[in-house]
This record gives sequence, structure tokens and C-alpha cells, in this order.
Amino acid sequence: MRHYAIYTAIAAILALSACSLQEKSYGFYSGDNFYKTEEDAESGLMYAYNALNYLEYLRGIWYVGDIPTDDMYPKSDEPGDIHMLENWTVTPNTELTHYYYKYCYIGINRANMVIDRVGNGNFAEDVRNRIVGEALFLRAWNYFNLVRSFGVCPVSLKPISSLEQTTSPLAKDIKEIYDIIIKDCSDAIDMLEVNKSFGRVDKAAAQGLLAKVYLTLASSKEYGAAGYRSLDIDVAATYALAAEQASHVVGDYEGIYGFDTDLRHIYDVNAPDGPEHIFIMSTDRSGTHEGMYTKIPLQFLPNNSSVPIFIKYGDGSLQKGNGNGWGVFLINDDFVESAFLTTDKRRTELIHRTIYDQNGIEITPSPVRGYFTSKYVDPDFIGERTSARPYLMRFSDIALVLAEAAGPETGYPLVNAIRSRAGIGELTPGLSLADFRKAVIDERKRELAFEGNRLFDLRRTASVTRTVQEASSLTEDEAAFFPIPQREVDLNPNVPSSQNNF
Amino acid sequence: MNKKILITLLLAAVFPLVAAAQNNTVSGTVFDVDGTPMAGVSIVVPGTQKGAVSDENGKWSIDASPGEKVQFWFIGYETIEQTVGPDGTVPDVTMAVSADVLDDVVVVGYGAVKKSDLTGSVATVKVDAISDLSATSVDGLLQGRAAGLQVINSSQDPGAGATIRIRGNSSINGSNTPLVVVNGFPMGDAGALTQINTSDIESIEILKDASASAIYGSRGANGVILVTTKNADEGKTTVTVKHQTVVSTLSAPLDIWYDPMLMAQVSNEEMVNAGLNPLYIGQTIGGIYYPSLLEIQNGEWSNTDWTKLCLRTPVTNNTTVSLNSATAKSSLNLTANYFGDRGIYKKDNYDRLNINLGFTYKILPKLTFSTFNVFSLTNRQVCNGLEYGRNPLWPVYAEDGSYWKAGPTDFSHPLVALEDKKDKTKGRDFLVSAAFDWEIIKGLKAHTQVDYRYKNTIQDIYLSRTTSQDAFDNGGIAKINTTRYQDVLTETYLTFDRKFGEDHHLTLMAGHSFNYEQNRGLYTTARGFVNDVLGNEDMNASDPELRQIYNDGYYVSKLLSFYGRANYSLKDRYLFTLTMRADGSTKFGKNNKWGFFPSGAVSWKMHKEPWMQGASKWLSELKLRASYGISGNQGINSYQTLDRYGSEKFYHNGAWTTVIGPGYEAGRTGANDRYFVWGGIMNPDLRWETTAQADLGIDAAFFNSRLRLTADFYYKNTYNLLREKYLPLSSSYDKIWVNDGTVENKGFEFTIDGDIISTRDWTFSAGLVFSLNRNKVKHLGDAISSGLSTDERTGMLYEVTGPAISMFNQNASILAEGQPMNIFYGYRVDGIIQEGQNPGFIDPTALLDRPGELKYVDLDGDFAITSKDRCIIGDPNPDFTASLNLRASWRQLSLSIFLYGVFGNDVLYNGYTYSPRVKAKRWTPDNPTNDFPSLNSIRQYQLSDYFIQDGSFLRIQNISLSYEFLIGKKWLESIRLYGNIDNLYTFTRFDGYDPEVGLDGIYWGGYPKFRKFTAGIEILF
Repeated sequence: MRHYAIYTAIAAILALSACSLQEKSYGFYSGDNFYKTEEDAESGLMYAYNALNYLEYLRGIWYVGDIPTDDMYPKSDEPGDIHMLENWTVTPNTELTHYYYKYCYIGINRANMVIDRVGNGNFAEDVRNRIVGEALFLRAWNYFNLVRSFGVCPVSLKPISSLEQTTSPLAKDIKEIYDIIIKDCSDAIDMLEVNKSFGRVDKAAAQGLLAKVYLTLASSKEYGAAGYRSLDIDVAATYALAAEQASHVVGDYEGIYGFDTDLRHIYDVNAPDGPEHIFIMSTDRSGTHEGMYTKIPLQFLPNNSSVPIFIKYGDGSLQKGNGNGWGVFLINDDFVESAFLTTDKRRTELIHRTIYDQNGIEITPSPVRGYFTSKYVDPDFIGERTSARPYLMRFSDIALVLAEAAGPETGYPLVNAIRSRAGIGELTPGLSLADFRKAVIDERKRELAFEGNRLFDLRRTASVTRTVQEASSLTEDEAAFFPIPQREVDLNPNVPSSQNNF
Repeated sequence: MNKKILITLLLAAVFPLVAAAQNNTVSGTVFDVDGTPMAGVSIVVPGTQKGAVSDENGKWSIDASPGEKVQFWFIGYETIEQTVGPDGTVPDVTMAVSADVLDDVVVVGYGAVKKSDLTGSVATVKVDAISDLSATSVDGLLQGRAAGLQVINSSQDPGAGATIRIRGNSSINGSNTPLVVVNGFPMGDAGALTQINTSDIESIEILKDASASAIYGSRGANGVILVTTKNADEGKTTVTVKHQTVVSTLSAPLDIWYDPMLMAQVSNEEMVNAGLNPLYIGQTIGGIYYPSLLEIQNGEWSNTDWTKLCLRTPVTNNTTVSLNSATAKSSLNLTANYFGDRGIYKKDNYDRLNINLGFTYKILPKLTFSTFNVFSLTNRQVCNGLEYGRNPLWPVYAEDGSYWKAGPTDFSHPLVALEDKKDKTKGRDFLVSAAFDWEIIKGLKAHTQVDYRYKNTIQDIYLSRTTSQDAFDNGGIAKINTTRYQDVLTETYLTFDRKFGEDHHLTLMAGHSFNYEQNRGLYTTARGFVNDVLGNEDMNASDPELRQIYNDGYYVSKLLSFYGRANYSLKDRYLFTLTMRADGSTKFGKNNKWGFFPSGAVSWKMHKEPWMQGASKWLSELKLRASYGISGNQGINSYQTLDRYGSEKFYHNGAWTTVIGPGYEAGRTGANDRYFVWGGIMNPDLRWETTAQADLGIDAAFFNSRLRLTADFYYKNTYNLLREKYLPLSSSYDKIWVNDGTVENKGFEFTIDGDIISTRDWTFSAGLVFSLNRNKVKHLGDAISSGLSTDERTGMLYEVTGPAISMFNQNASILAEGQPMNIFYGYRVDGIIQEGQNPGFIDPTALLDRPGELKYVDLDGDFAITSKDRCIIGDPNPDFTASLNLRASWRQLSLSIFLYGVFGNDVLYNGYTYSPRVKAKRWTPDNPTNDFPSLNSIRQYQLSDYFIQDGSFLRIQNISLSYEFLIGKKWLESIRLYGNIDNLYTFTRFDGYDPEVGLDGIYWGGYPKFRKFTAGIEILF
């Protein structure tokens, strides 16, 4: 009996060692262990901001906003699909629009998660308002990018965390998406305070975004842009809504937001907290991988065989820049030479064709292949790591939105302020409302050049095909949206393959 | 040299002992089993020439002194040994009929059965056939030793393991490697069983069909290799010392430039043909001087033999000392083994010390405790990839005595890499296993086992700033990486074994096991050191901003199992086996926690039927087997079914903060891996891959089992393959893991063994092993969501797989529905375009349709070479493999020859046209060959059948010779000397060094396969 007891004891102990097969996550965050504290909520919110930093989305600012327009073109031997954008031959399989589209939704899902988990979580009201408010802004921001680029697209206002949720329904029309954007912006305005913070948004940014949204609606309807023609809105009233929101940004926050009196200071990489910057992407050259830092200057600057280049300004000062640029983004000669007066500082100070060595002596033979802009230069670059940032929303942008929406009476001083900063004379006085609006859009072309705005201004004024030579064989309706990427069409049964986007 | 001295000394030591023995006549009688006197029995004194034969009355006599041994031998009987007593006599001897091989016991999962009672397909490997061979891992020695088992030794790095498959590849993303189980403890994937000493192994069994492997449930689908270690024989104490030295030489010359003049001419020609300026005209480019052909001809430049500086003749040593001792109550096995493996690159080393301790003790008459312990210490010093093909014109040293560098960006001087790179890994692998066996009542036994394994590695890396551009820019790169693995297994099973009457024999087994595995790692990198003096010794001396710490999580998995088996035998003719295993795993998705794996088999011993008795004279066995069952492949990694958030660093308020949220980086894609692939969405339905396998087999033995045949047909269908599926972009995720896809394997295999001659002095036996497997990808999942491509001409659905090959700027292989796995897909080439010949297509760039170019075949007839002209151009899977083992012995001298062949597989020769040997044979207008293209330094090669070669080979894998001196003294029993040659000769049409490449059939060059010369001695005390 003795060994029976010993044996049973041993076997029993071993049998009991079996336990639960439930797998517990270790070493990574998941829905189970996150969004519990205010720090979690902040961290989750900034993860949503961070969607903007990925290469695919970041470069999309120019791929979508400028390359297909009259202001920029890619160098001829740049590999990949960029020439499809330049030549207006984008298909559902174009890689760059595929990625841009995808990152809009990555930003949306990250924001949705914050809105859902923090909005319904146990947080102090002020914390919740601030965090949810910023997340609402980001959701609106991403949907606004989507709707302007692709038209009608799938919509989800809930975070996606199971296979069943991965086929979002298609919005029934453009209005449904704009309704979401307007509601998100309005809620964000209610929830946020004015609180200028580098890399983040506040109430002013939400108002600025809402102003741009209303302006897009009003002008698109007015110009009969595809997708907007059947919208049941009153053009004048919508302009007024845009003006109302923009006027808050322009008028209410003196000392916080305003015109930067020094044109070059706007683009000073070390002054991201200048008064112009309502929303600027957060990045820093001390990061360890791309996304933390950016290589934006390399996209613009010419290649000088890795020897740093110097850009010479009107006052004789030199600005150092990366010498190993790829020179992908080049500026159309015609755009430089016909859009700007020769005295316009936005041409003389921000657009260049020659590079210099550290002693200010011009480098010859010049490796420069075309006009390039110095809006994105980081003189303190470390190797390929720079702090150059895209300008996501500038005060001048919203000031011009106000000018365009409100008309000459309010608008002249704003346009003239911008023109005078650029060192050129005042806008022809006494223009009619329609002519004035045209003049404002023309001013936007110069002021906001290479900042990812141009395509959307052309689309909302239904003027792509007569402005952009490469698009001249298309109809304005064909140019109104890029096709929804093939993967979405293939895998989301809610998106029909013959989707025409409007 | 040393070998000779050693042998001479040994011979000198041994023979006087024999000669010195005193003479004395010993006599006696020998009886048969039934007690009648037995005639014709051979009687010998081992180790001497003395012998006698018993007469008709069983009487014999022989000269032998007290203490000497006398051996009795008769064919078909057990050999008996008696010691001459102090009084000079030997007791009478009764011979016993030797046990038939069919009565050998075969280990199967959770038990053992008589070989004749097997119902499933189980192959047993004879350990003595491989024990004199040298290899890092035991399982790497199994090549060609069992039908259906494929072993590939494609790496010759010191300490490298082997690739092992049983009955083909069946998984795409999961493991295809069989499970190795040592003494009941699952050790994971086969191919790296380095902890167990070959000399400790009693037997190796290969479980192939579902009836045999399904008892291992969710880990059994790839087959199972069971390794059982030895127990000492009762009443004996032996000490064995075994040493072997292996000298490796290259079996073919290296394919490098030996003649600098030819190299320079070829270089100039390939530049000029590409429309570029030639290099070797006496000019400096990028800081490197390229002498003119004249200067080279005048001998003004060196002709450095870099191979002498980089390579050596590797000498590997392997020493084992073992102690085996057993009494009626206990037994002890203690073995220590040192293995020092040397690679061909200087300083490329692997050293290992293994200590295996086995101990068995009978606590009570019916309760036995046994334990098995392994301590394995390994040291790997990596020093490979030295550039032995460096430009022979370049000198070793500069004038000031420092190493000569071709320019500031030249970091490939082999002596710099040899001296300034550090990469060492220390491993510690401990295994402790304890078991109790208790016979509760007659016929009912219980077995309880606890195993624990602890494995730890520490890797030290330092790359001095002299060794690469990256290290130079960063001021040295230092790493310390550690990993730890722990594994606990508890297992208890009961076995009930009883005969009911004459006709019914029932064996029931039921048990449960629990397995806990834990894996973790910590990886640290530091950069920016002041100098290279300390290497990675002080990580803190680096630039604080350039440090990285990365912990590879903490992977825990638990596997809870219940299993059972019933064997029923009716009249010892009809055998039935049913097995069942239920596996519950933490790795499986929430909705699929438990998997059930049943199997069944029947077999029929035809030769036992009364109507077959007439044939019993010549037919020892005729058995038919049939089995069917289901087993699984875990495939899934820990946490793969859960949702997982990602994290990034975000610059906020002037500092970096960690930001977290949904979406996890699951990989990279695009040019330079610039784009993220997002995963992290849960799939609670994810489960194991399932293999259903049917097997039909026959076992036959003839002429008192001297001729044995085993043959099997099998069909394996593996479904629910683990695959990644794309999701709509608007979901914000790219991919999710799902179970979708099917692969089938079917095949035929047989083994024939014959003891052709078996006399007292002479034996000759032969064994033939043949395996044939046909593999087919049946289904790759939904074409759209799996992202499959379509062949434009045939509509074949496929996906690209395998490693990227820079020469072709693409991956070499595809998985295509309806085709074998990993087939090659590309263009066809029909020789070389000759002058004045119409190539059959027009190249818009006018580069590819010139004379001297490869003549691509325009399959779709549009006079252009486009992606539509691609087709299947090769299959890396062999048609069949076969091996032949011949063994002969005369008294104590034995010789064996082992041939191994692989037939009908294609090999992709990566870099073929970059090889100096091939370049030298290039097409020129004066040499209009149809086999080699002209030289062109910038030509973009397309993957084509020009690079595909027949990889069939037949190798004289091994020849061994051994002689055993039987001493028979109390303190020295025997000495055995042996020598063998590995890889003596390979018959093949393959043009590279060696056609034995990985399963994907891609040949990467490297260096020729070693021809290994082994000399060894085994002394038994």
C-alpha cells in the first residue's frame, strides 16, 4: 500500500498542475489593458496624431496635393507610380493613392478608438473633453482628406477590432461624409479650448478646419464640381458659415494666432510654434527612425554628391541644407515664371535654381535639375535626419478662407497683408465678389504653394482640366476624384466595382 | 602522421598480451535447446586464432587459460560466452535459438510493441550504422537511413543542423519539421538534436503514418522521431573511451580568379560591352588604382592568394568517455562528450561539451525510479563570409605594414574582418527528466514523468569601425543578446495489458500530459564608442543616444492533453489499433481551444493463417497494414490570435513619448521595406493545421527473416493551412491570419534488407531504401483576399515565395495551385543569340536582342519579351531518393559502403553568370558559343531556365572500415580502430560545387562540400 500512496500523490500533483488555457497577453498592449488612465488616453490620442507621420501619408501631402497640379512635377527618373499622379493616369492599382487612402483610415481607426474608449470611459470631464475633442478633429481631418481625394467612400465611426467589422458600409453620398465631418468639427469646437501646442490642435484648429469644410462645400456647389451639384445647400449661407468659423480664428485669438510678419520665419524649422502655425506636424531630427524624423528636405533639395549645399537669400545670408537630396519634387518653370511677380519674395526667397558652397560661391556645374523650394530646409540636419515638417494648417490659409468666404469688404485687408509680407503691391481694389474670390484663390496658389493645398482648390472650383495641362484630355468630372483603390473594391462587398465616387 | 604512431603503439601494446597467455586445454559438451548434444558449434577464444568445432556428441576441446573467454557460435542461435574458471574448466553449455528480428521491441509513443505487432508505419534506424560518423546533431546522420525520411545537410558551418522532413512538405507558413521526442520528452523541431551523444542512443524510431504519429496530436502532423537512450546491462560495468578526428578537405577547386590577367581582360570586356569605360587601363577611380593589362603582364602587380589567408583545413575532434554499470537494483549510464567542430574559415569554430547521465533504481520490487539528465554547453564563434575571392591584384599589406585598402570605403579586407569582428554565442542547455514506473497489479502499469528543460544563450557581437561603413559611421556597433527558454512537461499514463484466453490480447493505454513552454529574450545594441578597445565589454561607454534595448516579449504557451490507445489482437493474426488525443492549447484561438486527433489501424498477419503454413519454410512474415488518422500542426505563435496594439515614439512637449493604440506592425513591404504592414486584429477562430493521412503497407520476411521487405503507400492531405488574408483598406488593417489552403503529399516507399552471407567468419548484408513523394499545392485560399497572382497565359493562380534573389531582382519560387511547392517560375531561354540570327523578339531598348545575349523565348508570340512569356521552369522537389547500404565483415574486420542519391530535382544556380569559371567561357564574336552569354557588367538578368540545372546526384556518401581487437582481459575488453571517408565522390551533372541544396532548390554558391576523412579509436574497458 505504501507505494500506492506515494504514486497516487505524485500523479495527483502532476494532474492538478494543468490549468486554464486562456491566453494572457504579455509584453504588449491590447484592448484589455489600455485606455485605463489619463496617461493611456493621452498616449492613445497621440498615436492617432502619429498616423500623419508615416511616410505613406506624409508624402501623400504632395503626391496628392501638388504633383497632379500646375505647381510641381516629379523628376523624370523617379521610380514608381508618382508619374501616374503627374500625368493624371491614376488607376485603382496606383500604389501611392492606395497608401494615402489606407492611412486616412488608419488615422480614423486610431481616432475612433480614442473617441470610443475615452468618450465612454471614466475620466474627468475636462480631460475627456480635451482628448475626445482632439480625436474628433483628427477623424474629421482624415475624412476631409478622403472625401476630397476619393469622394464617396466607406464610413465607420466605431473602432474596428474584429473580423466582422472590417467591411465598413459605403456612405450613401458625399453629404453623409460631410455631415460627419461637420458634426465632428462642431463637437470638437465645443469640447476644446484655445491652447496652442506644437504638434497638436485646439479650438482654433477645429474652427479653421470647419471653415475650410464649409468653403469647400460652398465653392464646390457654386462651381458645379462633381459630387456636389446635387447637394441641397444654399451657397451663400454656406459661405457665411465658413466666414463665421474663419472669423473666429482670424479675429478672436490675437497674440496667439496671427500673421507672421517675417515670411522666412514661417518656414524656419526651429520655429514651429510661430503665430502662423495652427496645426503643424510633430517630428524631430533626434528621432531614431523615419517617422520620428523626416527626410522631407531630401525630396526637394538637389543632389550635390553628399556635400552639404547652401541656399543664398536676398540679404546675402546662407542657409545650409542636405547635400544628398533626391530632388524628386521640382517646380514647374512656367508656374514660377508666370504666377509670381519677379519681386514677389515668395519667389525670390522661397524658390531657387542655384546652390552655393559654404563660402557663398555658386556650385558649377550645377547638379540642380529644376526650380526647388526652400520651404522645407533643416540646416541642423543629422545625416538624413531632419526636423522639417509639413504645414498642416497655417493662419494665412484660414485668413484667405475668410477673405474668400466673406468677400471683398472683410477680405481686402487680409489679402493685402499677405501680399505686403511678400513685398508686392496691393490687390487691384474694387473687384466684384466673383472676381475677388478668383483673386483670393489665385493668391492661395502663391501663398500656399507646395503645401498640399493646390489640387483641392482646383477641384472645388472645377478648374483642374483647364489649369493642369496633363489633365486637359479629361472631363472635369473625371478629374474630380481618384478611383477607390482596388483592394477596397475587391475585399469590401459594400464597395461596388463600378463605383464612380459621386 | 599522428595516426600512424598511434596505431603502431596500440599494436605494440596489444600483441604481447595475447602472446603471453598460458596454454591449457579446456573441453566440454554443448547441448541444443531440447537437451540433445549439438554438433557443428564453433568454439573460439576471442582475440586469438584458436578455434574448434563440436563433434556429433557435442564434445569439443580448445587451448585456453583460466580467465580467458570462450565463445560458442551457431547460425540462428544466440552466441554464448563463458569464462574459463580458475580450475581450467568451463561448464556445459546449452545453446538458445536467437530471437528473431521480428521479436525486437519497437518504441512507439507512450509505449513499445513487438515489431511483428506494429500496425502503423514505423521505421527503426540501426544506431550502430551511424555511430562512427561525425555530425553536430544526431538527426543529421539519418540521411538515407529510413524510407520516407528526407535529410538535407546543406550547411557546412560548424555546429550547423540539418533540414529534416518526413513524407514531404505540408505547410506553407507553419513548421514542416518533425517533432523529436527523447525518452518521452518532446524536444521540438528535428534537425538540431545536439544535446544527446550518439553513443548513448539505444534506438531511433521514425513514426510516419497517422496511426503512429496521431498520438502526438497537434504536434504529430509532420511525423515524429523518437530517440531512446541506453540502459546498462545488468551485472556489468564497462568504460568506453572513443575518440575520432575528422580532417575535411574541399571536394572541388574554388571558383575564383586565379589568373589576374584573365580577370582584368574579362572585367574590361564586360565594361566595354556595357558601354562603359574599362577599368584596367592604368587609372585611379574612387581612390582605387586599376593597373593596365600591360602592367599586369609585366608582373608589376601582386597575385595574392586570398584563400590562404582566409581558409584552413578544418580538423574536428570528437571524444566520448562513458561509464555503464548495472546491478539487479540499479543502473547507471554516464557519458561525457567533447565535440570541437572547425569551419573552413579561420576562427569559425563550434565547441560543445555534453554530459548525459542516466540512472535507474528499483525502489520497491514493483516501483522503479529512473532519471535522465543532459548538460550541454556550447560555444560558437562565428567568423564566416571572409572575402577569399578578393581581387588578386590587391596586396595584403600597404607599404607601412598596415592592411592595404582599396579605398576609404573598402571594408572587405579579410584579415580585418578576421581580427576586428567579434561574434560569439554561448549556449547552456540543461534537461532533467525523472520518471516512476509502477506495476500496480499484474498487467496494469503506471508511468509518471516530469521533465524540465532550461536553455540559455548569450551572444556577444562587436563590429569595429574598420569592418563596415555602418560600423564606421556609428563609431562601432556592440550587441549583447540573451535568450532563455524553459519547458516543463508532466505526464502520467496507465497501461493495461492482458491476454484473454489463447486468442485475445488487449492492451489499453490512457494518459494525460501538461506542457508549459516559456521563451524570452533581451537584445541590446550600443553604438558610438570612443575607440574599439573594449569591444562590447562596456556597453555604457557608448553614445547614450545611440543605444537600443529591445525585449522580445515573453512567450508562454501551455498544452494540456489527454490521450489513449487500444491495441487488440485476435488470434495473433488480426491486429487493431485505435488512438485518440485531445490537445488544448493557449496558442489556439478562443473559439477553438481543443483539437481532437483520432486514428485507427488494422493489420493482418497473413503468414499465421493456417492455409499459409505450407509456406512457412521460406516465408517468415507476411503482414498487411492499413491506417487512417488525423494529426495537427500547431503552426500558430503565441498571442497570434489576440488583438495587439502597436506603439511608436512621438515628439511632444520637447521630448519623446511612447504612444500606443490599435494597429501593430506585422511586417514591411515595398522598395527598401519602406511601407508598414499592419496587423494586430484578433482572430479567435484561428486553429491548428490539420493533416489527414491514409497508409497502406506490407511487411514481408523470407528465409528465416534473412530477407526483409517493407513497403508503404500513403496519401496525406493537409488543410486549414495557416495563411494571411488581406483585409479591406478601410479596416485600417492589412492582414489577418486565417486557416485557408490545402496541400497534398502522396508517395511510395520501401526498404529491403538482406543478410546475404552469414557465417561465423563472414557476413555480408545489403539494405536498399527508396522514397518517392509527390507534393501538390491544391488550394491557396480565396484568390482575391489572399492576393494571388494569375499567370496571364494559363490562368494559374500563384503567389511569390522564397528568398529574394538580387541577381534577378525578384523571388525565385512560387506556390501555384495544382503544382508542387516552391516551383521556379520565369522565362525560357533557347541558347545564345548568334550573329545574323533572328532572336524571335524585338527589345524596345535594343539591349536584349543583340548577338551574345540570352535568347529568351517569346511564348505568347507577340515578338516582345513581357511578363506574359513566363512559365514554370523547374521543380526543386526530387522524383525520388534512394540509398544503398552494403556491409561486409570478416571476423573483427568490417567494411561498409553507403550510397545516397537524389533524383529528378531542379536546382536554381544563383549567380551562375557571375562565376569566374563561367565568365571565362563567355560568348564573343570569335567564340560563338551557344552556352554562355557575352559579358556585360550592367545586364539585368531575368529569372530563366538558363539558370536551372538538373540537381540529381548519386553520392558515395561514406566508406567505413573498422577492426576490433578482442583482448578479453579484465581491465581491457577490446580496442576498435576505424576510419571512414565521407563524401568520397558525387556523380552529378550539376555545374556548381554540390547539388545538395535546401528544399527550395536554390544554390547560393558558398564553398565546395567537404570530403571528410575520419580516424577513430574505441576502447572498451
